[in-house]
Amino acid sequence: MRPEVGPLKILVTVKLVPDTNADKRIDPATKRLVRTGVETVLNPFDEYAIEAALQLKEKLNDGSTVTIVSMTSPSGKEIVRKALAMGADDAVMLCDDAVAGSDLWGTAVALAATIKTLDADLVITGTQSTDAISGDLPGMLAEKLGIPGLTYARKLDVADGRVRVERETETGYMTVSAALPALVSVTKSANEPRYPSLKGIMGAKKKEIKQLAVADLGLTVAVGTDGAKAQLTDLATPPARAKGQTIAAPDPAAGAAAIVQFLKERKFL
Amino acid sequence: MQNVIAFIEHKHGAIRRSSLEAATQARTLADQLGGKAHAVVAGAGAAQAAETLKKYPLDQIHVSDEDRFIDGAVDALESVAKAAGSALVLVGNTMIGRDVGSRFAARVDCGINADVVDFTTDGGAVSCVMPKLGGLVITTCKLTGSDFGVAAIRPNVFAAKETSGAGEIVQIPSSGKASSVTVEDEVEEAAAELGVEEASVVVSGGRGMGGPEPFTTILKDLADAFGGAVGASRAAVDAGWVSHGHQVGQTGKTISPQLYIAVGISGAIQHKVGMRTSETIIAINKDGGVPIGEFADLLVVGDAFAIVPELTKLVRDAKAAHA
Ligand SMILES: Cc1cc2nc3c(=O)[nH]c(=O)nc-3n(C[C@H](O)[C@H](O)[C@H](O)COP(=O)(O)OP(=O)(O)OC[C@H]3O[C@@H](n4cnc5c(N)ncnc54)[C@H](O)[C@@H]3O)c2cc1C
Ligand SMILES: Cc1cc2nc3c(=O)[nH]c(=O)nc-3n(C[C@H](O)[C@H](O)[C@H](O)COP(=O)(O)OP(=O)(O)OC[C@H]3O[C@@H](n4cnc5c(N)ncnc54)[C@H](O)[C@@H]3O)c2cc1C
Repeated sequence: MRPEVGPLKILVTVKLVPDTNADKRIDPATKRLVRTGVETVLNPFDEYAIEAALQLKEKLNDGSTVTIVSMTSPSGKEIVRKALAMGADDAVMLCDDAVAGSDLWGTAVALAATIKTLDADLVITGTQSTDAISGDLPGMLAEKLGIPGLTYARKLDVADGRVRVERETETGYMTVSAALPALVSVTKSANEPRYPSLKGIMGAKKKEIKQLAVADLGLTVAVGTDGAKAQLTDLATPPARAKGQTIAAPDPAAGAAAIVQFLKERKFL
Repeated sequence: MQNVIAFIEHKHGAIRRSSLEAATQARTLADQLGGKAHAVVAGAGAAQAAETLKKYPLDQIHVSDEDRFIDGAVDALESVAKAAGSALVLVGNTMIGRDVGSRFAARVDCGINADVVDFTTDGGAVSCVMPKLGGLVITTCKLTGSDFGVAAIRPNVFAAKETSGAGEIVQIPSSGKASSVTVEDEVEEAAAELGVEEASVVVSGGRGMGGPEPFTTILKDLADAFGGAVGASRAAVDAGWVSHGHQVGQTGKTISPQLYIAVGISGAIQHKVGMRTSETIIAINKDGGVPIGEFADLLVVGDAFAIVPELTKLVRDAKAAHA
């Protein structure tokens, strides 16, 4: 890829997801998420990735650039522009009916192929999406790109051609590092994403959003619904949780006793 | 797919509970598929973990002493899977489990299913059942197009059962490879405690707790009385009262404990999606009209600061009477 020193080409992967507050549904016929009538937004977790990239670029202040990469439908263009308004330099969208309905494997293959055309030094991702929430894509991308993957970073820094992160663990953190090029996934404790400024919003209108199709990637395997290695075969709506009982407990001891009684009935005690 | 391989996550030989669940489930599935149940354990302490695994119903326990972070485990899985010919790999849906499972899937070009709560098999085909969109839909996904597949199982859903397994321990030869990732140090910030994902009882506090103190006192005491863990709503986490690792909900953890006790939590949709698949939900709230009352099995309306310590005492008494 690129020489170890000099400006970095930083890539941030961004997924477009249905608004978290929207009522999400899956179309029983196509077995895909219904995206019509629901506002689409930047995956909230990816805003931390964008912010981390922008902070790194600002700190390096050496002509390093931030490019947004998203696999999405062409209608996502204006949402991708929000990332540019935050301060990213340009964006690349992979838009192709051939990738629609991709599973994780297909998404990883197609996104990795897209990233390979861009010659990145550092790829930054979110830790998960808010719709599919697998959290598996960062590891798969790193593997497909053949680069080290430093996941769950709450802090990252680049020096002397190496990236060093604080990786969150269940009980604290680990400091891990690797030589560039590398992939880092950033957690929500990493930073506080900025809001686009008015100047940023105006400036974003002139920034380039390039669209690529599968034919531009030289892919030799089928992705999309047909190539999926995890194939959705059924979906069901679970029964809603019924409303249970309500007990007024002006007397705390009586309230506690009522809970214990309930726990005994359910064999917890 | 015929064989099943459980990836074992451990810390210096102490195995995570979700990995013991994977090891137990590996046997069940291998029997259905007519294959063998394997476990793969790598890194410092692997030999010690392997001794523990002898108590589980495994045919073979593969041990790699290589301590390369993530990659050592992926290499070990790859060699065992390829030798087996066809295999389903089970990992816990934890940070390490996802890292290992996802890299393995990308390496061998197979499907991966996340947050699996149930399996169905049909001949050699494996399908995974997963609640998605915060439990709004239950999806079934078939692993296909490869001799391999990965399922990241939700902790605390499958049973971990010791039996007289006595699996054969097989040493994986060292590759001699250098690690591309350097682990420089590891810092413990909190006492090693059971995470909310793995605890069978979770006691969560929300904005109604008013500050950090209840999270280390009354809530912790109640959780301890059950041998459970302390969780939190985002309001409590954002206020800085408790760390993000405890957060339950859309931007925190999705959990399915047997018992969830929500204290001073209103039950916003983003909280609900993280805990609605709990087996039993109890809420303690001073307001009888809160949304959580619509889906909790029991809502007790009163002051949490008075009720919780009282409850802890009664739970301790009841447990002591049984002991
Ligand atoms: C409800 C639902 C359930 C699904 N379940 C499965 C399943 O079990 N198995 C399966 O193989 N597929 C599944 N899929 C398909 C899966 O959503 C896509 O493959 C998806 O693009 C990647 O998965 P994720 O959103 O879980 O990514 P995650 O791993 O949760 O996302 C991590 C990061 O990857 C990056 N990223 C993810 N997607 C994109 C993208 N399209 N463009 C740019 N960057 C991206 C973002 O930076 C994100 O923060 C499911 C989809 C839906 C809607
Ligand atoms: C994109 C997005 C993602 C989000 N992700 C999450 C998430 O992952 N997890 C999450 O939890 N939230 C999440 N939220 C926030 C969510 O919408 C709610 O704001 C949050 O859950 C509220 O937390 P709470 O119930 O603790 O606080 P409140 O809603 O303020 O409820 C506090 C409750 O405490 C009760 N109370 C007060 N004093 C006492 C007392 N002495 N005794 C008993 N009861 C008392 C009150 O009656 C009230 O019901 C998210 C929001 C957004 C927009």
